[in-house]
Amino acid sequence: MIVAASTTNATKVYGKDDSAVYALNNVSVDFYSGQFTAIMGPSGSGKSTLMHCIAGLDELSSGSARIDDVDLSTLKDKALTELRREKIGFIFQSFNLVPTLTADENIRLPLLLGNEKGNEEWIQRVINTVHLNDRLTHRPSELSGGQQQRVAVARALASEPRIIFADEPTGNLDSTTGTEILRFMRKAVDELGQTIVMVTHDPVAASYADRIVFLADGKIAGEMLEPTPEKVLDRMKSLGN
Amino acid sequence: MFRIALKGILGRKARLVLTSLAVIIGTAFLAGTSVFTATLDRTFNNLFEDVFKNIDGYVRSTEVIEGEFGLQERQRIPAELVDQVNAVPGVADAVPDIQAFARIIGKDGKPLGSEGAGPPTFGSVAVEFKGALWTISEGQWPVGASEVALDEASARNGNYVVGDTVKVVAQSGSREFTLVGIASYGDVRSPGGATFALFDVPTAAEFLGKPGFVDAILVVGDGSRTDEELATDIDAIFDPALKIETLTGAEVTKETQDDIGEALSFFGILLSIFSSIALGVGSFVIYNVFSISAAQRQRENALLRAIGASRRQVTRAMLTESVVVGIFGSIMGFIGGIGLAVGLSGLLRALDIDLPQGGLVVTPGAAFNTIMVGLIVTVASAYLPARRAGKVPPLAAMRATALETAGPGRIRAYAGLASVLLGLVTIGAVTLGATNSLLGVGVLLVFAGTIILGPAIARPVALVLGRPAAKLRGVTGTMARQNAARNPKRTSRTASPVLIGVALVAAVSALAASINGQISDIFSEQFTGDYAVSSQAQGFGGLSPSLATDLGKIEGVQSATGIGTLLVKIDDKGRTLTVITPETIEGNYDIGLIDAKYSDLDKDGIFISLDYAEREELSVGSTVNVVLADTTERALTVRGLYEFNDLAGNRVVSREMFAGANVNSFDFGIYVTMSPGADSKEVRASLQAAVDDYGQGKLLSKQEYIDEQAGQINQLLGLIYGLLFLSVIIAIVGIIITLLLSVFERQREIGLLRAVGMTRSQVRTTVRWESVITSLLGAVLGIVLGLALGWVVVFSLRDQGLTSFQIPVGTTIAIMVLSFIVGVLAAVYPAWRATKVDVLEALTTS
Ligand SMILES: Nc1ncnc2c1ncn2[C@@H]1O[C@H](COP(=O)(O)OP(=O)(O)O)[C@@H](O)[C@H]1O
Ligand SMILES: [Mg+2]
Repeated sequence: MIVAASTTNATKVYGKDDSAVYALNNVSVDFYSGQFTAIMGPSGSGKSTLMHCIAGLDELSSGSARIDDVDLSTLKDKALTELRREKIGFIFQSFNLVPTLTADENIRLPLLLGNEKGNEEWIQRVINTVHLNDRLTHRPSELSGGQQQRVAVARALASEPRIIFADEPTGNLDSTTGTEILRFMRKAVDELGQTIVMVTHDPVAASYADRIVFLADGKIAGEMLEPTPEKVLDRMKSLGN
Repeated sequence: MFRIALKGILGRKARLVLTSLAVIIGTAFLAGTSVFTATLDRTFNNLFEDVFKNIDGYVRSTEVIEGEFGLQERQRIPAELVDQVNAVPGVADAVPDIQAFARIIGKDGKPLGSEGAGPPTFGSVAVEFKGALWTISEGQWPVGASEVALDEASARNGNYVVGDTVKVVAQSGSREFTLVGIASYGDVRSPGGATFALFDVPTAAEFLGKPGFVDAILVVGDGSRTDEELATDIDAIFDPALKIETLTGAEVTKETQDDIGEALSFFGILLSIFSSIALGVGSFVIYNVFSISAAQRQRENALLRAIGASRRQVTRAMLTESVVVGIFGSIMGFIGGIGLAVGLSGLLRALDIDLPQGGLVVTPGAAFNTIMVGLIVTVASAYLPARRAGKVPPLAAMRATALETAGPGRIRAYAGLASVLLGLVTIGAVTLGATNSLLGVGVLLVFAGTIILGPAIARPVALVLGRPAAKLRGVTGTMARQNAARNPKRTSRTASPVLIGVALVAAVSALAASINGQISDIFSEQFTGDYAVSSQAQGFGGLSPSLATDLGKIEGVQSATGIGTLLVKIDDKGRTLTVITPETIEGNYDIGLIDAKYSDLDKDGIFISLDYAEREELSVGSTVNVVLADTTERALTVRGLYEFNDLAGNRVVSREMFAGANVNSFDFGIYVTMSPGADSKEVRASLQAAVDDYGQGKLLSKQEYIDEQAGQINQLLGLIYGLLFLSVIIAIVGIIITLLLSVFERQREIGLLRAVGMTRSQVRTTVRWESVITSLLGAVLGIVLGLALGWVVVFSLRDQGLTSFQIPVGTTIAIMVLSFIVGVLAAVYPAWRATKVDVLEALTTS
């Protein structure tokens, strides 16, 4: 399988000496192309930190993070920004959209920022997939929470990125709407061939993934393929102890 | 939670500094101008106290003509009175004094000092005297018809040393003297920047005024009696019919100080008008900052309300903050103002206006005033936002949005519209014949209405103005446009200072353009010659009448005529007559005579304008009695009426009328026509040589002259622009503050944008364009309002002869370009701050 993103001995330390906190401690992990991977772990285990570092939003204290074969630590701010724009899609837990732009503009935001047209056929397909056709001219304040997250999913997909990172994308949604979003993400991988890495602490959400990477205390604490909510819950219980 | 709390405090500290900035700038100008004028006032008071220190009495004529604009001419007194005064018991020494217009020509041929604008250029008397005004610091006193002494600054600026030949120009023409002494006045090199050419008494009388006459007599007593007794004794020797009075030293000092004080108080009033404008504009910025601050703290305030704080407590908390800001800002402003005053004094010194030492006059009163005004303005500006903060419902704490309510209320829109409409109707009524004084009310209503309407029109106008940005800059432009429009209240408050400044500039320049146009039209019609010599002197000095005669003799010149002024009394009021030379004016200048010839104007005649004839019910053949400055009377017969009173005024007399009288009269312009077929280049060269020889005025072609006359109004404009520049600065500060607060408020949005791929330079672009759109919004509305205001003012002056309104195209374009630049400049720092937003922090803090 082709590796879309990876880390080698990724370490992130906050503070110094006695008060040093290891948010990530020697994490080496690969994320494969065309797969839906979930990162799981208890609160404070370093999930978000790991995602931020691979996505070029944060810097590692030591070790390396790569998107394709590009070592992120070699990139300056401008190149890193362009890499995020072109190769990465983002879905955050909340406040995903720019309030002054319409849904359509929000979806195309990375393309617009890069002054690119993008693949119009693809964009239409994405919009169809997330059922947003009749909401395109609305601004975020005129959309429900679920619709807003769908726009965010569409934005992450629109530029055909190498990899999409989602940090608790359903954390702020009720379970029905959350399920809907997870289905879309699943569909994006199955039907559109996308690569998604999702941070979550919800076993049900994680069960939509092909593969789960467990984190505990900033270290890799195992993996699971073809997860079900029950299996995940069991595993989480053991991690919690 | 700790991080959030810390950020709140830091945010508030930044806000405190930002709010104070608006107060500081507003009050600094207030303090600066009041310290400066107080300093100037005291400086002159000290100067004259010094100058008259040893003078115990001052003898002069009681007859004085006071014209418009502070012009005055006092009758001269016979020189032989000096001996009589010297003979009065108790008088130790008495000398004559003469002070009149005279210009020193520098070694390079250029006259020292400036015509019209700036300190005056004097000719005066320097003799050895017990109460000496002047002391000779080098060389000796001037004696005889060929010797002169100069004040130190003039000698230095003219590059003269004792022994040089110095050319001096006075009413009777130009003459060369030998420099025999350098003099200083009190303890300064030259008083207040004025230049002095000093002569002995007979020379001064003959060259500057009239032989045998002096302006006044300075007296020093022997100490045997008080100044009052001495003055009474001196008065007693004169026949009351002579109309002579004697002032004590203290009286003359006080009078001179008061005269200067009056002149300065005009300056002071002008400065205080501008500092009020600055403060008013500043109050918008203060109001804006407090509004934004209240909006950003809405959730915090709602939480306070939810846990039991009363409305009044929340309001009071904000008002307390405004008191702190007001006091802090005003104190800083006062300190800044002192710096400003130092700068202004330095500027004067650089312009070679030498003021006696004495330091700045910083009174506790000025400090108190500044701080009180600053405090009141700040608290008043903060009052509404504070009240609104108190009104926040406790429920708002649970709501996610912490933004200001977006749309303007319906009541506001109606109130604004009503005010604008009422204003327009008022103005309309005036155009249909209602009294002019209603115009001001109309304008005020329109202005107030526009400001009230601001939030309602800010959004659509910002969207229109932002369209090019969106087209040009793609998504960053789109966001800038939307950002400028997303909070119309805030945007309109931010744009208001720009609006006010721009409206004032636009109005003043529309007025100026209209006056300009009018003046060009007048001169194109009335000045029919080929060349003119113009003088900038305004009421003091001008061109020697002999210059016109000399120019007329030049080969290739058909005729040259001078037009001047003479101050007289009519019905016991000071009036200015226009003086012409009937023999030469024909073909050079046209006053629009009706059924009369210039040659009809003899020495007992007067021409009057149609307006004047109508107003005073005079006609050809009527008699007009005038009293000259030497108190001689003339009964003048009206010989004709004329139409053009724009330049010629209402009364025209011949030079012959006052020939031989003991009065001052200068020409303000000379008009020249070439002989047919003469070579204009050669003629111009000869004219120039003659003018240079006099060292007076400027030789101009017809078109140059028309442009110059029309351009004079621009000097006034320069001053007004300079001072309005201040409101531009405040406007910039206002934009900077608002943008900074907006950036602070939009951190999450900026973080998100950075995460999904917005580069730092794109972040900057977005902020910059938002700033430009805001600035342009103020400029566009300001131009519309300003031009309308200009039109109204021009309209209200229609009776003063201002008939055509002109749009200042150049200025309008310049304002647009400038406000664009203002927008770009104001965005520099906020844009930089926006690029420093920590992406992760913005994304993770909730
Ligand atoms: N800016 C920071 N400063 C100090 N410690 C931090 C910072 N960000 C995260 N941490 C710490 O790093 C650890 C991992 O955090 P995070 O990656 O957010 O965990 P998760 O997303 O799994 O809940 C936590 O212990 C957290 O307290
Ligand atoms: Mg997390």
